[in-house]
Amino acid sequence: MAKARAKAKAKRVQDLKPPRAADAAAWFKENIALQKKRYAAIVKEQNGLERDRQKWYANFLRIIQTKGFNANGDLRVKIPANLIPKKPKGRSRVVF
Amino acid sequence: MARPHIEPYVELNDPYRAFKVRGFRGCQYKTLSLDVDTGACTLKIRFPGGYRRSPGLSYSDCEIFVLNGTIEAGDALWREGHYCFVPAGVALPAIHVPQGAEALLMFNDAEPNFEESGDSHDRALREAFTSLNGYEDLPWFGLGRVQPSVATGCLSKLLRQDPLTHATTFLYCMVPQFAQDNISYHDCAEESYHIWGTSWMMQFGELPTGGYFWRPPYINHGAFRCRFGTIALGRTDSKLHNYFHYNPWSNPWENLQRAAGQGYRQRPLLYQWEMTDGHNHPHGPADFEEPGYADAASVARLHR
Repeated sequence: MAKARAKAKAKRVQDLKPPRAADAAAWFKENIALQKKRYAAIVKEQNGLERDRQKWYANFLRIIQTKGFNANGDLRVKIPANLIPKKPKGRSRVVF
Repeated sequence: MARPHIEPYVELNDPYRAFKVRGFRGCQYKTLSLDVDTGACTLKIRFPGGYRRSPGLSYSDCEIFVLNGTIEAGDALWREGHYCFVPAGVALPAIHVPQGAEALLMFNDAEPNFEESGDSHDRALREAFTSLNGYEDLPWFGLGRVQPSVATGCLSKLLRQDPLTHATTFLYCMVPQFAQDNISYHDCAEESYHIWGTSWMMQFGELPTGGYFWRPPYINHGAFRCRFGTIALGRTDSKLHNYFHYNPWSNPWENLQRAAGQGYRQRPLLYQWEMTDGHNHPHGPADFEEPGYADAASVARLHR
């Protein structure tokens, strides 16, 4: 079974790709490093938005109790106060 | 770890880099996101005026969306808004860019690669080749393409959908003063590039023209606002289902469990079967309509 599957998989063009050339390998390595820096910058920037974000969350929780929550399309459902979630302890995280 | 969560990233703030890879020399690029295991990536690419490339193929499924300028591909003219899905191994004709152009270029399986060839690979899935102008050839779809649905004012055009995984490439727009008051997440990774306009999401703030994200599954996004309108290119790597809720502090693990809980309630027999010992097939269960589906590239890349 495994042999048959391996044979079938070899039919994909993707599996017949020649080994990564030196120029492509250099490009790959360089761009992994650049992406790490970019990711770190995004996390830093997003952490800096925390105060604004907590205000946005508070406004959202107010809107869904008054105007309503978009449950499906334009169908809005007002959420009663006892169902409003409470902020957990600690810093909230939005980039994972 | 595949692609990390890149959100938000505004590429207009960063310079282009010289593209020193065969098939793209003379072009410039910016990497928007990169799979650190396979090299699969989404790039913004700038073709200089006078750029030429011989006919050839890639060993990766590729997608291209022309942002501005005109690309001559053999007898075809790819103008602003043109979209192509080029399956791995399908040879493109000679390319000429007389006046320069910018495009989004996506390699779905591997790092950018090119091999000169006048003919497609004999194992290429030629029938999947797609070429259309997203601005001119398709109407906006104003109703909920997916249920539960986005609010009125978020419209879409389906450019391509993989028949096995329902991975989708689409244009979407938000009308001025669009608002949607819920938090959303999906089972799929989701990607977007803002061609024009600024929208706002409650977690990340404003995403302007040139704004981009690659968001892994189960990550909260929304509520949503758009003041002056936005048009964007979007992609998912598999079927998109909108899970809406209103807890701003739930994390991806809790969201995944909530999604699985919906399966437990709404598809009980399927859930029970999936959870039964001995049914954990690593290559997927048998499908009498698609007996070889596990070997399709679009499926395999989801289960690496």
